[in-house]
Amino acid sequence: MTAQSNNLDLSQYLRREPAMLAILSFIAIVFFLVVTAISHLYFGQQDALAQRWSSRGLADLNSHHYDAAIPEYRAALLYSRDNFDYRLGLAQALMGTHRTAEAYAYFINLWARHPENGVVNVELARIAAERGDTAEALRYYHNAIYANWPAGQENQARETRFELVEYLLRINSKTQAQSELISLAAYVDDDATQQDRLGALFLRISDNEHAFAAFHRGLTANPRDVIALTGAGDAAYGMGRYALAVRYLQQAVDLNPHDYISNDRLRTARFVMEMDPFRPQIRVADRNRKVIEAFAAAGDRLKACPVAASYGVKAGAPGKPAQDLGAQWASLKSQITPGGLHRDPDLVDTAMNLVFTVERQASEWCGTPSDKDAALLLIAKLHEGS
Amino acid sequence: MGSIPEAHKSTTVAETVSPSQAVSVEGLTPARVLRSVFREERFFLILSVFIGVFSGLAVVCFRFAIDWCRIYLLGTGAELSPWRLILAPTLAGLVIAVLAIHVFPAARGSGVNQTKAALYIYDGYIPFKTAIGKFIASSVAIGAGHSLGPEDPSLQIGATLASAIGRRMKLSRDRMRLLAPIGAAAGLAAAFNAPISAVLFVIEEVIGRWTAGILGSVVLSAVSSVVVMRWFLGSESLFRIPPVELRRPSELIAYAILGIIGGFASVAFSTGISALRPRCRNMPPWTQYFQPAVAGLLIGVIAMLGAPQVMGAGYEYMDEAMHGQFTWQFLAILAALKIIATLLSFVSGTPGGMFAPTLFVGAMLGAAVGGAEHALLPHFHYAAGTYALVGMGVLFAGFLRVPMTSVFMVLEVSQNYTIIVPVIVANTFAYVISRTLQPTPIFDLLSRQDGLDLPSMEEIREENILRVEDAMQPVSGPVLNAKDPLDSAILAFQGCAASVLMVRMPGHSWACIEREQAQTLLNEGKGAETLGTLLKECEIPYVHPDQPLDTVLRYVDRWPQVPVANRANLSKLDGMISQRDVLERYRDLGRE
Repeated sequence: MTAQSNNLDLSQYLRREPAMLAILSFIAIVFFLVVTAISHLYFGQQDALAQRWSSRGLADLNSHHYDAAIPEYRAALLYSRDNFDYRLGLAQALMGTHRTAEAYAYFINLWARHPENGVVNVELARIAAERGDTAEALRYYHNAIYANWPAGQENQARETRFELVEYLLRINSKTQAQSELISLAAYVDDDATQQDRLGALFLRISDNEHAFAAFHRGLTANPRDVIALTGAGDAAYGMGRYALAVRYLQQAVDLNPHDYISNDRLRTARFVMEMDPFRPQIRVADRNRKVIEAFAAAGDRLKACPVAASYGVKAGAPGKPAQDLGAQWASLKSQITPGGLHRDPDLVDTAMNLVFTVERQASEWCGTPSDKDAALLLIAKLHEGS
Repeated sequence: MGSIPEAHKSTTVAETVSPSQAVSVEGLTPARVLRSVFREERFFLILSVFIGVFSGLAVVCFRFAIDWCRIYLLGTGAELSPWRLILAPTLAGLVIAVLAIHVFPAARGSGVNQTKAALYIYDGYIPFKTAIGKFIASSVAIGAGHSLGPEDPSLQIGATLASAIGRRMKLSRDRMRLLAPIGAAAGLAAAFNAPISAVLFVIEEVIGRWTAGILGSVVLSAVSSVVVMRWFLGSESLFRIPPVELRRPSELIAYAILGIIGGFASVAFSTGISALRPRCRNMPPWTQYFQPAVAGLLIGVIAMLGAPQVMGAGYEYMDEAMHGQFTWQFLAILAALKIIATLLSFVSGTPGGMFAPTLFVGAMLGAAVGGAEHALLPHFHYAAGTYALVGMGVLFAGFLRVPMTSVFMVLEVSQNYTIIVPVIVANTFAYVISRTLQPTPIFDLLSRQDGLDLPSMEEIREENILRVEDAMQPVSGPVLNAKDPLDSAILAFQGCAASVLMVRMPGHSWACIEREQAQTLLNEGKGAETLGTLLKECEIPYVHPDQPLDTVLRYVDRWPQVPVANRANLSKLDGMISQRDVLERYRDLGRE
């Protein structure tokens, strides 16, 4: 091959190959632009379809038509596979139709993507609660309480804590419920309804002090709030602050005369006030009268409940034989007079101790006491701490 | 490490330099140098990038087309109307049959064997019409709900585009042949969003050999097509991958069981195809018009009866299976129904791929087996996603019989190396069972049914390679040194029966001297001259015992004996080999 032909080859080559590359580049650019235009059309359609189906799904979800919402959200997901909201909607719709296992699979995947999401954590907590997995339920509830809630749903953290307390009460975990409630109290504003809810939950765990405080805060916002008045009365009643209980319960009954429970409680509270011989700042004569009345009521109770009357108690002092309650009451009866009590003030305690014992035994053996008996039991609790 | 001795460099050059390169050294001119370097090497790499770009763009359009067909043929909702479920695949089947019979006859089938045929039979030629046909017919088929996937058609579309570009560029026959697999890798990589798996598949199933030149081009085209695809469709995997975990080594037992079950499922799948496909083809010609329609009708019935998941590629359902949204019983049913639906679609000649159905069956089977195992043995940790992923690999290994691709595919898709051990364990079982019960791999089976005798990559992989050590003979007679006089060679010949003696030359090179040659030189009065002087121009190349036997064929016709040198000590001979030794060994192999 000659040098001339070599140079010819090279020049031909240099003319051909770069030209081909230029043409290929041009075609690639045109192809790219065409595909870009097509992709705009494609994704526009996909977005529109996703939007259309998810709107339908949301509407059905909000109107609790869960069966209809499921395929709609599934369709939306066909066009926007990774959309978190659509998946969440589908999972919620599945929960609505009680397809818990399926819903759980969705929620657990959503949780893997956004472990800080409040809605997902609450739903997972509910599923765990339903399955009886307390540890998981508590974990998810706590996650939800400290989760990120979207704007406008900030109160969901508070609602979740309320739900958690309800759950704890359902599983009879009162101590944990109490600590949650105490934490919750810091986040509940003066809104009467919220305070009423809080107070009611405190009442359920017998935390009367916090319950009273909650109802009291509610009453500051709305002094004629019957629920708060009743709750405050009940809390005061539970604390043994019967004067306060009478005050609130009276107002509650005035506003809602058909509240029989409060009526009964008010009546009992009044009996306590009337019958309590240990109330401070009462005259001696009044105290003695109350003791005599209580002693008489205990006697009536013994008659009505002979089993309690034959119940023996330990002898009060060494050398004294044990006596049954009826015998004790009978032996003491002659001394429980205004004169006797005046002469021997120690008899007040002796008589009232016997009264309390009688009432307790009778309520144990013979069931529901009368108003007076109930009042005496409460007085016993108040002064004996039992 | 010391530098490689010059002689070593020169004599072992045959191991690394191709014959074409060796020839090109002759008659160097600037034009030739530019042509050989720029055109043959770099230009081919540049071309690979363009092929990748075009394939990526084509595959993006293909994906759009499938989705549009689905929307317009089956509707936009998730719950499809029963009429559409029945009518869409049936009517699409009729249209596809007409297209495949009258307009695009090459569009039938998956596309992998067509690409292999282009490489091995048609010098890289694939008619451009094939890509158009594949694009249209596969879009309609998959969009209408036929149980096929878009990967194999994408592979063929890529190969066809590459072939078209190569023809325009007037490339040499060797290059033209390679373009088809390069395009195939690009198409598959874009369809699968997995460049490594695509490269491995093409190397493992289409090309069957690893060379730097091919690998570079294939990788470049695959990567560029994936870049283009991700530009438009995003980098997300075909399915969302849940966290993958293997908690205890004892769980490998569970994955081994999955491999065994997957192996049998693979055999059932491939046996179904191998048995039904010829029967469908042997039916009267007029039935060819209705076979895809009947397949579509039956698939529609399956969908209407409660398993619409078997329609189309089914990626969204694989995603759901991976996230534990089906019971294991339903997953098992879906795996069985998908095998049936895919058999119907494929044997009826509907254009479309086997990759997606294979993955679908694998995912469902994997999650089902995992779920069942967990139900029976609750202490086994069950993560549906992990089992589904391993199941995919199992079917890839068992059904498609691409063991390396199957492992890397799972790794690439899951992006988690924790899964590698379960995948290897399960795939090994599946592969061994499948090989034992179904000796011919599915792609070879299909090509043989089509009357093509394409090379079986599995057979090639497992072929016994003859090495030099299998044919070499022990050194006969003494080994002489370059410093020895010719007289000593004469004496050596007198003391032995050998007709040739080896001479150790300076610088770890070798020469040989024949009995007659020695006698002639002696007669010329050169008895006192050293062998090194006499044989200065007669150095011969040496080989090593582990080299393929065919390497020796390059030398044995020029030298009576070729030395077999020890790799650790090039001055030491392990043996000698002659043309006769080589031919006898090959003859023995033929008898075996």
